[in-house]
Amino acid sequence: MHGLEVEVAGIMLKNPTMLASGIMGLSAASLRRAVRGGAGAVVAKSCSSQPREGNPNPTVIEVPPRGLLNSVGLANPGCRELAEELRKLGGEVPVIASVYGFSPEEYAENAVLMQQAGVDGVELNLSCPNVEGTVFGYREELAQEVVSEVKRRVKLPVFAKLTADAGDVVSVAKACEEAGADGITAINTLRAMSIDLTARQPVLGNRVGGLSGACLKPVALRCVYEIAEEVRIPVIGCGGISTGRDAVEFFLAGARAVQIGTAVLYRGLNVFRKVAQEIAEYLEERGYSSVGDITGMAHR
Amino acid sequence: MHEMQVVEVKRIVKETKRIRTFILDLDVNAIPGQFVMVWLPGVNEKPMSASYTKGDLGITVLRLGDFTRRLFELSEGDLLGIRGPMGRGFKIYGDRLLLVGGGVGVAPLAPLAEEALRDGKEVTAIVGALTASELLFVDRLKRAGARVLISTDDGTAGRKGFTTDVLAELLKEESFDQCFTCGPELMMAKVLDITREHRLPTQASLHRYFKCGIGICGQCVLDGTGLRVCKEGPTFRDKELRKSHEFGRYWRNAAGQKIYFGRR
Repeated sequence: MHGLEVEVAGIMLKNPTMLASGIMGLSAASLRRAVRGGAGAVVAKSCSSQPREGNPNPTVIEVPPRGLLNSVGLANPGCRELAEELRKLGGEVPVIASVYGFSPEEYAENAVLMQQAGVDGVELNLSCPNVEGTVFGYREELAQEVVSEVKRRVKLPVFAKLTADAGDVVSVAKACEEAGADGITAINTLRAMSIDLTARQPVLGNRVGGLSGACLKPVALRCVYEIAEEVRIPVIGCGGISTGRDAVEFFLAGARAVQIGTAVLYRGLNVFRKVAQEIAEYLEERGYSSVGDITGMAHR
Repeated sequence: MHEMQVVEVKRIVKETKRIRTFILDLDVNAIPGQFVMVWLPGVNEKPMSASYTKGDLGITVLRLGDFTRRLFELSEGDLLGIRGPMGRGFKIYGDRLLLVGGGVGVAPLAPLAEEALRDGKEVTAIVGALTASELLFVDRLKRAGARVLISTDDGTAGRKGFTTDVLAELLKEESFDQCFTCGPELMMAKVLDITREHRLPTQASLHRYFKCGIGICGQCVLDGTGLRVCKEGPTFRDKELRKSHEFGRYWRNAAGQKIYFGRR
């Protein structure tokens, strides 16, 4: 498939589809499934310094239409154990670590550990809705502190993953760029909930969680569009992408690549290959030679 | 789409001192070996094998930790949430079937035996427990027409020892077309070692910590194979399990840390 190669902050992808953090990302064995499914890059599960068991189940439930609600609560084996898993991946595609911290220093320490494990980039989860700590991505100055501290400590490309739950996600993106971020991932899940009519209580163990899937797409697209107008660094689109046509909308809005998560549920682990193929078909039909040709076109 | 269905507990059966069956007001047509996610509102949600797979769904539960203790406090008419049935169930091949169940692991094997016997298959079931009073579904299996061989760790019923002792002796005398096993993972690993010597194809039902139960969170992926226990499992073929250096050695807890069954 021609024309699918993209470059994002110096990282070369054979196609612009990436596995989003939080899906199949806890071990080398599971990340390899996404690689075999055609992902151009994979983003691992977010990790903290210490292991976390996360919230009680139910932590992931399906909500119609084609949505998921999760309150996993950043369950992870800790940065060191996950780094050992990522080390096992053979460099078939770029591997991005996702790091979390309860302070800018913890983010930076975890990013350093991941750099030592040989990953190709670091995504800062500034927007997890399911932990008790500060959500750094809610405010410009907090996001800026984290990005600056991480950039001071690592050489790798650093992406800031943001949320539309922030008062002004565009200002947060600008603040991250000023602090030296190499790219923006937009967006994380939106805070949401579901209540069972018979049990008459929230279904998620944590009561509230994050919404992903098709219903998120128009919100994510708006965020990418507005952020792309205001920053020069690359934007990675994320939120409700399950087909090539969805991905193309994000490219037209200015995204350099897209992340796919919930769609694994509806189209299987080969969703990456399918979406890449569908993007290629669109480019060919319309006479474009690469994804780069259409990036940001909707801003005319 | 597996939406949460909150239903009434129709009937509770005390199988042994520590094992109860909950019959739910939920009509299902599941394949033996499939599982459901069981939500106790306000407490937690755990995967359980279906022990009654046609008509009203049944789950058979060993009281072990906090969740099952709370489950045992339920009365008939109380509510449980169910997602499923989900996952890959057992697949019957051949005519002479051998079942090996340890403890509450007999739960998914009983409906399998009933289905196979209805289809005219011959079923031998090796049922093991710590002690005679903890043996599960022996009468149910006999009623369905299975030959039942028993082992108890303390010798209070059947052969003193393990199901695997009975299995090793039986396979010296008789041959079968397919073996199905469910129970403690170390027991199943031993079952696979023994049936391999006799070239007896074997399916095993695995237990792992689940979060999503629908194949996307990655929590239950088996190292060495990449197979998801909730999606490609929970029943696996011997060939698949032999490729996994995780099977019989360790599992991952809620945080995703490796926890070893015995010696590393």
